[in-house]
Formats: sequence, C-alpha cells, structure tokens
Amino acid sequence: MNIHEYQAKKIFKQFGINVPSGLVAYTPTEAKLAAETVSEFGPWVVKAQIQAGSRDVGKFSDKRAGRKGGIRLSKTLDEVFDNADEMLENLLVTNQTGAKGRLVSRVYIEEYIKTIRKFYLGLVVDWVSASTFLLVAPVSDKDDDDIVKLAIESPETILKINLGLQKEIKTEQLAQIVSFMDIQIELSELKTFLNRMLKLFYTYDATLLEINPIGITKSGKIWALDAKIVFDENALYRHPEVRKLSDDSDIEERELIAAKFGFQYKELESGLGIIVNGDGLALNTINQAKDMGINTACFLNLKGGVDRDKISASIKLIMTNPRVDGIFINILGGFSRCNLIADGIITVADDLGLNIPLVARFEGTNKDEATDILKKSGLPLAIAEDTTHGLQLLKEAIAEDL
Amino acid sequence: MSVLVNKKSKILVQGITGAQASFHIQRALKYGTNIVAGVAPNKNETSYLGLPLFGTVKEAKEKTGANASIIFVPANYAKSAILEAIQAQLELVVVITSGIPVRDMMEIKHELLNSSTVLIGPNTPGIITPDEAYMGIFPDNIHISGNIGIVSRSSTLTYEVVLEINKIGFGESTVVGLGDDFIIGTSFVEIIKKFNSDKKTKAIVLIGGIGGNYEMEAADFYAKLTKKKPTIALILDDPTPLSDNKGLAPEIICRGIISAADKKRILQEAGMIVVDNINALKSELLKL
Repeated sequence: MNIHEYQAKKIFKQFGINVPSGLVAYTPTEAKLAAETVSEFGPWVVKAQIQAGSRDVGKFSDKRAGRKGGIRLSKTLDEVFDNADEMLENLLVTNQTGAKGRLVSRVYIEEYIKTIRKFYLGLVVDWVSASTFLLVAPVSDKDDDDIVKLAIESPETILKINLGLQKEIKTEQLAQIVSFMDIQIELSELKTFLNRMLKLFYTYDATLLEINPIGITKSGKIWALDAKIVFDENALYRHPEVRKLSDDSDIEERELIAAKFGFQYKELESGLGIIVNGDGLALNTINQAKDMGINTACFLNLKGGVDRDKISASIKLIMTNPRVDGIFINILGGFSRCNLIADGIITVADDLGLNIPLVARFEGTNKDEATDILKKSGLPLAIAEDTTHGLQLLKEAIAEDL
Repeated sequence: MSVLVNKKSKILVQGITGAQASFHIQRALKYGTNIVAGVAPNKNETSYLGLPLFGTVKEAKEKTGANASIIFVPANYAKSAILEAIQAQLELVVVITSGIPVRDMMEIKHELLNSSTVLIGPNTPGIITPDEAYMGIFPDNIHISGNIGIVSRSSTLTYEVVLEINKIGFGESTVVGLGDDFIIGTSFVEIIKKFNSDKKTKAIVLIGGIGGNYEMEAADFYAKLTKKKPTIALILDDPTPLSDNKGLAPEIICRGIISAADKKRILQEAGMIVVDNINALKSELLKL
C-alpha cells in the first residue's frame, strides 16, 4: 500500500527525520494560506499529491496548466496560488501513471530548502536473501529517473549494501556511503539520519522506503526533500492507523472493487474476461488464448479461499468492463472447491441474465459435483474439458455473437 | 523412491482445527498419508479427526516420532508456529498459509540459516508423492505415479501441467510447489539437487514464476552439475512489460530486471531444455 508524500513526511517527522515544513491544500486559496504559514518570505514548492513518481517531469492533460510538471518552485504567494490553481482537479500524466494520468485532488505547499548536494537514499527488502538493502544513488537534474529505471539502465550507479536484519548502521557502512557519493559530511549526522530511517522501516513493516532526493545544506544538515513509503499489505493488521491513510481516488474503480474482495484484477485490451485462481494459470490461459488468436480484455485472479459470494462478485465485476465479449472461468482445484464456484456462477447468471458467452472449466476438488450443478441449472453455460477446449468453445460462441 | 515425502513420513498438522485444514487433512488421510498428530495450543480436546492432539510441536514430536509438519495456522500467528517447528528440528516443514508479512518471513529465513530444516512455502500447494502421501492442498485425483519430478513456482499452473502430461502417459515421482510468495523457504536449487539423485526420477520439469531470481539461481546450479538429469523448464511469456509491474520493483531494484526472454536464454545456456507452452513441454518429454 502506498500513501501520499505529505502523509509519509508526517510519519518521517515522528521519527525525527528532518523534513521541510509544509501543509496540504485542497483549493488555491488554501494553498496561499498554507504558504504564508509554512514560510514568511518563501520561496515555496507546490507539489501535486498523487501516488506515482516522476511528478516533476510529468505533464498535465488540461492545457491550462501549461507545460510545467507537478512540482513547481514558486517565488511569490501569487505564484503559489496560480500553480495550485493549475494543478488542482487536473490530471497529471507521468511515466508511472499510465496514459490517462492521475487526478490531483490536493497539493502540498512546502518551504524551499537550499541544498548543495542531493542524492537518492532507499531501503528495500531483497527477496532472495530475505534481507534489507540500503540503496544510494546519484540524482540527475532531470529528476525523471526513478530507481527502477536506473536499476534497469545503469545498475552500476546504485550502491547496494546488504544490511541483513541490522537495525542500526555500522561505521564501515557509513564510510562506504560517503566514499561512494564523494561527499563531505559529519558521519554522526548521517548515522542518526539512517538509523531513524531504519527504525521507521522496521516499525511500520515497510517493504520500500525512498527519499528521492535527500538534500545536504551548506551547514551539513540532511533533509528528506521527498518521501515515499510502501507498506506490506499483509502486515497492515499491525498498523491500523496506516490503513486509514489509503487514498482510493487514485485507483481505477474496477481495480478497487477487486482489491476489496482480495482479488487481483488487471486490464489488458479487449476480448476475453478471464477468471482464474492463480498467477501462473492466468498467464498460461492468456498466452494460450493469444496463440489461438483470441485477445484478453482483463484477467481476475481469485487467489485462495473462494466462496460463492466471491465468484459472483468476480463475474459481476468482469461484466462491467465494456471491452469484455466473453468470459472464461478456468479453475484448478486446490483451495477453491469447484461446487461453490458452480453455485456462484448460477447465482450471478440468474441475477444479471448473462448476455455474453460464458465457459467454465473445473478441475480438482469436487469437480463432478460442480459439473452436475451447472448441467442441471439449464442455463446457457458451456462446460469445457480443459483450457484448450474452453478457449475453442468461446471462440466459436463469440464469432456467433458478432 | 521419491523426494521429501513418502509413505514413511510421519506428519504433524499445526493449526489442524481450522476449516480448511480439517477439509484437506481428511482428504490426505484418505489418500493414505501417514499423519500422526495435530498440534493446537489452547485446546481442551485430546484428539481431533481421530488423531491425538498436542499443545506443542516438541511434545508431539517426542510422543509420535514425527519428522515433518504441515502448517495451516492463520498468517497473524504463522511466524511463531513456523519458528516452533524449526526449533523442534523437524526435517521438513510445509507452510500452506498465505499472506504472511514480509518482515516475519525475513526473520524465519534467517533462522533457517542455522538449521537443517527444509521449509517449503509459504503460500504453497505443498508436496505430493503420488500413491504414497501428500502434504498440501492438491487436487489429489489428478496425480499419477511416474518418473517425472516437478518443481514449481506457480501453484495452479502446476495442476495444468500435471493434467496435460498425464494425458500422454506420464506420471510424477514427486511434485513440489515452492510457493508463490516473494520470499520462500526453499528455492529450485535444493529440489533439483534432490531430484537429480532420486532413483525414480528420470527427468525434471521446472515451472518458473513471474520475476526471475530463483530461476537464475537454478541456472547457475544446474550449469555446474556434472551428472545431470534432463530438465525441461517451462517459462511463460510476460503479459505486460516487467518494468510496469509495481509488485516486482523490489526485485528489479536489488537484482536487476529479468524478463521471460532473459530467463529462457540463461536456463538454456545452463543446459536445460526450455519451452514457453505446455504443448511444447509435452513434445519435449516425448522426445526424452
């Protein structure tokens, strides 16, 4: 789970990490007032709050915002007002938002901190070693390099230190950072800063903590100029206060509904809506469909613990996607009991009246029972023997429909 | 022969009284799996499903001579249950539970470094040696005893592969699901090692997941093996560019990007036969 920059900075502050003073604003007038509060003379930085990176070099879809991005230095209070006015209720498109962009519903007004050096600092969990990695990287002036892009294009520019389960930074690791970045800085200052980051990282079950960038002032003080925290969804039960920070407005409606049921939902193009109960099966079904000349509009992974209500919900959800012209339910045993799935299909078919072809394939636990239930229902549902057969049936049914 | 689980395995069930556990354990018992006891702290009953019930893994091991445990304990309590099984020095622990916090798995993984316990999972369908025993939630009516060893990072895709290769006359020595989570107890390497020295296994099928570092480790290991059994790797193509997959960001940052194409090339260079669909997998098996 992601949160907004201003929310992350509030948490940073609680852990004693230096952040510029700032306030969130929902209207241009609020923005101007906020600016007056955070700094008497400015300058200020107006920052669009969306849960995606590369805001600085992003572009707004509405022309009134001009060609500038989602992070703007403002020298006067009027500039703060104008910049907030241009950003609010506008869609910001960055290389992480997709073509449609994200709606800016609030801006963050911050005092501007003059720094002499900036660099990227991050903490992330490495899966293979099950350890925390500390990441240090230079920041380019363009600022559109997120760490993923950097890791793909020039991994050698990122310093990675394996911290294991270390909760405090070691002296030799500090030396390593200082020499890698070639910076002049009090080691004790850097040590305190990093230890506070680590404390936050562990306290909140974060899987990724990024400061892009940190800034060092002439006097040697370290500031977190940006803040990003990704929380482990599975550990949110330990942090109910964090769950409350989730901002639904950023997420596409269907994805949001899916997430509420614990499903994974992904839209591709137009064609089949595929309901499966596993990642690998999803991939295999999509690839096999492609080989047979069938496109996929979306897939929905039910994951484990499937019941009647969830299967109904998933079909209903898929049917709200106008780009779906047929539904393939491909379920392979395990935790999902096939008879419950069959029940779910009948419930929803009765409720909504299916207007597009639906083919179901079951395998595994209680398969025969499920097949019986569907056959006896008398509804126009086809039952397939295997994945290939199911796709074949749908291809024919869709062709007839058109 | 087989790997990890057979008729002789003496198995405990941690979290046996849950609905999912009860359902799957009854099926496993019917299959002939040698489940010897349940572990459920804070329960007054002394037996469940006809099995003796103990308060701790240690006690259950002492009383029954168990060497393995399957864990169904809910995610919030899974860490202590897993650590208890490791500390009791069981040889094999299979964790079915999904949704275990990353931080908990980090601690567990570090605990495993000083232990000889083999931990499979979490979020795994488990392990099955057809006609002998299984620890997991497999649809048990699809497996046939045979000489193909399967090790997989994808639960449901494994079922599909089993169904398809059985149609053309093959069967499985053992099927091992490594689990779908990002941090897993055991990776491909240890299982390939076991299949490679298992008498019954004639060929190995490796089923990859999305993201690629566990497969890369497997490639390194397989390349260095002097006597190796034929191994076919099934690597499906990525539906969307991996760089767009936010869930993969930590892996890409720490280890770089490994696309399906990279994985295929590297596994091939290591000496495996690489396919990208199940039909091709079947043809390759028939050629062996």
